[in-house]
Amino acid sequence: MINLEVRIPDTPGCLIELIKPISNNGGNIFGILHHHDKKINNMIPVNISFELNAKLRERKLENIKDELRKSKIQIDKIKIGIEQHHFVVILTGHVFDTDVVDTIKRLASKKIKVSELQAKLTEISEVSDVKLKIDLPESITKEEMIDELDKICEEKDLTLIRS
Amino acid sequence: MDVKIGLIGKGNVGSCFLELLKKKENYLHKEYNLRIIVIAIYEYDGALINEKGLDLDKIISLKERFREHKDWKDNIKPIDSMQKINLDLCIDTTPTNPDTGKPALNHIIDALNNHIDVISSSKGPFYLKYKEIHELAKKTKTYIKYEATVASCVPILSIKDSLNGNEITSIKAILNGTSNYILSRMTSEGVAFSVALKEAQELGYAEADPTLDIEGYDAAGKLVILANELLNWSKTISDVKIKGISKITPHTIELAKLEGFTIKHLAIAEKDILFVEPRLIEKDSPLNIGGTLNVIKLQTKYAGPIIIMGRGAGGYEAASAILNDLISIQKLRKRSIE
Ligand SMILES: NC(=O)c1ccc[n+]([C@@H]2O[C@H](COP(=O)([O-])OP(=O)(O)OC[C@H]3O[C@@H](n4cnc5c(N)ncnc54)[C@H](OP(=O)(O)O)[C@@H]3O)[C@@H](O)[C@H]2O)c1
Repeated sequence: MINLEVRIPDTPGCLIELIKPISNNGGNIFGILHHHDKKINNMIPVNISFELNAKLRERKLENIKDELRKSKIQIDKIKIGIEQHHFVVILTGHVFDTDVVDTIKRLASKKIKVSELQAKLTEISEVSDVKLKIDLPESITKEEMIDELDKICEEKDLTLIRS
Repeated sequence: MDVKIGLIGKGNVGSCFLELLKKKENYLHKEYNLRIIVIAIYEYDGALINEKGLDLDKIISLKERFREHKDWKDNIKPIDSMQKINLDLCIDTTPTNPDTGKPALNHIIDALNNHIDVISSSKGPFYLKYKEIHELAKKTKTYIKYEATVASCVPILSIKDSLNGNEITSIKAILNGTSNYILSRMTSEGVAFSVALKEAQELGYAEADPTLDIEGYDAAGKLVILANELLNWSKTISDVKIKGISKITPHTIELAKLEGFTIKHLAIAEKDILFVEPRLIEKDSPLNIGGTLNVIKLQTKYAGPIIIMGRGAGGYEAASAILNDLISIQKLRKRSIE
């Protein structure tokens, strides 16, 4: 997610000048916040958040900045959030007996966040199946996540099923 | 052109090959000017030998009682006999010990050392000693072909000749019909692994000891051959990370379904790593095939994915691949003479 803080003149049509370069560059706009109460010299601070294709993000963002400058829109701040990737994996075995909380904590310590957990149980003594939805920041590759999960699964004698 | 051949192993594949050869006799002669003369059929305890050519019609009609034929001689071993009778080509259809590759490996080495071309349907030798076999064939100026070892009649090894202008970068495949049948039944019927396995055994899709199939060893062997052949790798089965499917439960499959996935026992060669393991794949993936079928997806550099699917087992299926190898070798021989 990218967040831009800009200032635009409080005149009709100016908002379009802000949105156009973002949508021209494939941006998916999530929200626009006008701070009318903070208007100074007829300029309104505006906060706009959007997402860009991860692979082309840097190039597209440069294009957007160029186009905004040409339209005389002043950029005050750019915040680039961490891109999350989502994965689904299934663990089968004694997932609870081998301390599922520990499993989740160990993943979290490597910035691998479990955002959802769904389990199917038969008997308390039997194996269970647990589906994990995992959020991964851009800084960690899928291979690194799998390596970490593999390590835990080997240690706890669980079977990892991934995509 | 006359081609004198010896068959080692008269089991399911070997017998189907003899029948197919009879059926295709006229075609081979008319189309390729080939007269295939079977002069030896070796079994573990002896051989049928007739240097003028065995009477295939009679031998086929005798079925399992082929040892009653007048040309049967006890205690003859291929190693002692194959050079004496001047074979041009040796076809091995014996089973293999997964750890040693024997007896097929010995048959292949003996034939190559005697400057006899070889076709084999036994995969063991190729997932254990791929490099050595090819080096020996080069040294002895012989041809070796083994299309039937991977996915039987599906022409996945010979496809390489049709992709010379392209480049295969990775492979994803389902190479074991038994494990695919079991997972397919667990998915469609919600039955337990043990129930689906029993059903597969009753239908003859799984062996009494299904370990090699369900634990992924069979698929791993085929994957090694594919990777060595199509990606020019130099691997053996010990390089494959293997996980079986016996721990999959109906619950595992249910959870996968909730996310639009299904579970398949995939054989994967990518980024210099070989895997055989149960994986989540999208429900509408072309790899989501049912029953005992095999499917292979080749990722290519210049043409995206190429997918080929078909029956991965069966006597006639394997026999047809062997016959195709035979024709290919004769074409190569002809070219090398010209
Ligand atoms: N069937 C398929 O669908 C298929 C497909 C592709 C590839 N293959 C491969 O092709 C090979 C043959 O398969 P198959 O289904 O035909 O097996 P099969 O029916 O068991 O036939 C193997 C034959 O080889 C004989 N044999 C064993 N040891 C021997 C030795 N030392 N010397 C000579 N003969 C020997 C066996 O004799 P006894 O039975 O008397 O021991 C049997 O007649 C296997 O390696 C298999 O993996 C099979």
